[in-house]
Amino acid sequence: MKRRIAREGDETEVDLTPMLDVVFIMLIFFIVTATFIREKGLDVLRPDNNEEQTENNNVAIVIAVDGNNDIWVEGRIVDVRAVRANVERMRADNAESPVLIQADRTANTGIVIQVMDQARLAHAPAVSIATVE
Amino acid sequence: MRKRLAEQEESAIDLTPMLDVVFIMLIFFIVTAVFIREPGPEVIRTDTETDVRQPRIAVLIAVTADNEIWIDNREIETNAVRAIVERMRAENPNGSIVIQADEDSDSGVVVDVIDQARAAGAPSIAVATLND
Repeated sequence: MKRRIAREGDETEVDLTPMLDVVFIMLIFFIVTATFIREKGLDVLRPDNNEEQTENNNVAIVIAVDGNNDIWVEGRIVDVRAVRANVERMRADNAESPVLIQADRTANTGIVIQVMDQARLAHAPAVSIATVE
Repeated sequence: MRKRLAEQEESAIDLTPMLDVVFIMLIFFIVTAVFIREPGPEVIRTDTETDVRQPRIAVLIAVTADNEIWIDNREIETNAVRAIVERMRAENPNGSIVIQADEDSDSGVVVDVIDQARAAGAPSIAVATLND
């Protein structure tokens, strides 16, 4: 009798197994629901009407994209890959001039983003997108 | 002999260190869990060179090649974007807004979405590009 009581007293450790089960299930739930979304992207700027009037000394470099996805710089149609060179050349005159992309509403987003990428490659300080009807 | 048997009975594995590790993993996954609602449709992205990783995303908006706007697996109208973005931004106010625009979508629609997101007070808006 005495011996039994003594042994039971020794064994009164808390059984952690059920808690471990619960914790494991929670762990699996959070691992499964964890979505590590990795997105790369370009920050887009929209021209501010108020700023345009105050910064008249810096004339913007205007690149137009028309509805046929042709890119126009200074009245000429240029290739996407030539945009960077053109922007660099025009920035040589005035390094602070921002770049404004005037996209037709029906122009493809892909072309507009590529033009934006090229202008950023030419280290243009601010590249913004405007749309025209 | 009897004594040895008793020793064998008591040789249960001590689970405490494993429990510690599991708890730490659990806390890590709870803390890093961000429930981003994906827009739904897959879009063809544009390949660019100056793109940067978007660290904190609050809202994802997709614009498909057919100029449909999708948020959280639902197609929505252009003028509803602002209200939905405002509501979703309340959960993650410092997160940016990423627009997954298809290569062939009209830039006018994308610019409308950008304007709506800006009106909702988003700190930064980006267009998603090819992940390479």
